[in-house]
Amino acid sequence: MALVKKSASEVVDQEERKRKRDCGSLAHQLCDRDPSTRRWAARDLADCPDASVVLVKQLRREMDASVREIILTTLTRRGDEEAVAGLVECLRSEDASLRNEAIEAMKLLPVEVAPIMGELLSDPDPDVRIFAVNVLESLRHGKVEEWLKEVIESDPHVNVCATAVDLLGEVGTPFSREALENLKARFPDQPYISFAADIALKRILAN
Amino acid sequence: MKRILIVDDAATVRMYYRFILEEAGYQVMEAVNGIEAMEKSLQEGSFDLYIVDVNMPKQDGYGFLRDLRGREELLQAPALMVSTESAAHDRTRAYAAGANLYLVKPVKPEELLLNCRLLLGEVRP
Amino acid sequence: MAELIISKEDFLKFREFFYRKTGIQFDDSKRYFVDRRLIERVEATDSGSFRNYFMMLRFEASGDEIQTLTNLMTVNETYFFREEYQFQCLVNSILPELVKRKTDKSPIRIWSMPSSSGEEPYSIAMYLLEYWAGINQWDVEIISSDIDTKILNQARRGSYSQRSVGNLPKSLLTKYFTPSGAEYQICEDLRQAVEFTRVNLMNAADVRGYRGFDVIFCRNLLIYFDDLSRRQAADTFYDALHPGGFLCLGHSESMSRISSLYKARKFPDSVVYQKPMEAR
Repeated sequence: MALVKKSASEVVDQEERKRKRDCGSLAHQLCDRDPSTRRWAARDLADCPDASVVLVKQLRREMDASVREIILTTLTRRGDEEAVAGLVECLRSEDASLRNEAIEAMKLLPVEVAPIMGELLSDPDPDVRIFAVNVLESLRHGKVEEWLKEVIESDPHVNVCATAVDLLGEVGTPFSREALENLKARFPDQPYISFAADIALKRILAN
Repeated sequence: MKRILIVDDAATVRMYYRFILEEAGYQVMEAVNGIEAMEKSLQEGSFDLYIVDVNMPKQDGYGFLRDLRGREELLQAPALMVSTESAAHDRTRAYAAGANLYLVKPVKPEELLLNCRLLLGEVRP
Repeated sequence: MAELIISKEDFLKFREFFYRKTGIQFDDSKRYFVDRRLIERVEATDSGSFRNYFMMLRFEASGDEIQTLTNLMTVNETYFFREEYQFQCLVNSILPELVKRKTDKSPIRIWSMPSSSGEEPYSIAMYLLEYWAGINQWDVEIISSDIDTKILNQARRGSYSQRSVGNLPKSLLTKYFTPSGAEYQICEDLRQAVEFTRVNLMNAADVRGYRGFDVIFCRNLLIYFDDLSRRQAADTFYDALHPGGFLCLGHSESMSRISSLYKARKFPDSVVYQKPMEAR
């Protein structure tokens, strides 16, 4: 027995080529019983028009983590309106991993997500507002610091503010100085808020 | 010296816990999510206590605890789960995943220390 | 112009950001190392200040700067028996576990990528021949791929510098190489042991046929990818592996910044990643 070498063409498994790869059958294969088939369908749907709707639909009921991951990657690569809407829906899911996966995907779509940020930051659900602040981490947008400043000035929920302060430590400027100092007065009984605000102030005023 | 692993994706939160726990004489390491927490546990040897956030990228706190509890090769250290959610069903889910105690953020220093000491067997409940 | 200095607060800010993105942690002793490289990049990008540079780094759509910076912060030379502990893990732990599970005599298939100039796949071949008793009972196929056809040709030729073979025990150098001018030519047996193929990991059509592998080595490649591409690569490897197959990343790389699909496994020589046995 030994080290053996096949030729390059033998290296590659020919079987996959048998499957039909038009968009209609792919959508169908997305619901196949075999996760491997679903994974390949999710990959190949990347270039099919109108695929985001069917991908989002499958995402909501997909139990296999490996298929979910590929659906999310494909949705992120597509980044169209339906994909983004589908991801936003996932923020409200009961499933912690689906929520967090959606946040991650949205972080990779800063341009597409920017238009709805304002809306998400004023969502009635504080958890959704926290997730929205999480997404701001990767957003290249003139208003990011302004949004964070607004959050710490007026959001009633301590954890939404806490998440915003964490990010201000990284992207904040003297523009947010006063708001950070006032934040400590807004939540006088929260040592964490004082701690976090002080860190952010130190970073902002360092130079 | 007892070793505590802080698992949270927010850098400021990790700094805060580190500050409190080091002051109290514990050795602290950090991880940003469940996967890194597992890698560090396997590489560095088991920890004496885990402080675990819920919402983290790649692997959340529930996923990490389930993985940890399923591994015979790791010492089953107690886990303090800390979350922004306060609804009752999240607490149940935390215990089902393998947490020993559940706290709601933001955590006060005394609260953190008392609960850690409790789980480390350093104080009577 | 005044000399640029990185303040302590800026260093901490950068350190947290870099750790979050790559998993690489710099302790305080690395201050000088990190500051020097940051200053170099601030100047090279004409950013004018660390603050401007940092904002650019954070938000740049292409991710080119973080890639350049990561390159600077990590050692990326290739040479024979680099990160040898993983080859030890292969023969001491991974292969024994794999053969125990095998129900037939089909070859064990190993994929090494990127091949670069071939040091890694040839190292694997040498290690198997020298240190794995099982090579006498089992066939092993080694496939090694790269996107760059020039480097693939270089790998196929198998001619190496002193620097490249420097980490090899003298006995192996003598056994498997012939000096040729200032270089060392790898022997025909080893050249024949590895199949080099051209693959763009990000191209679905290229990778579709890569299935049925038992072990994949992908070391010091993903760390230079952006987040989405890294994930895509991990997903590709997932389908390329048999259930229970193993994936080895570079020593400063971690699945924690990539994907949750794999199970971390600790062996005496290394922590590696495994596609779950139950996976389909």
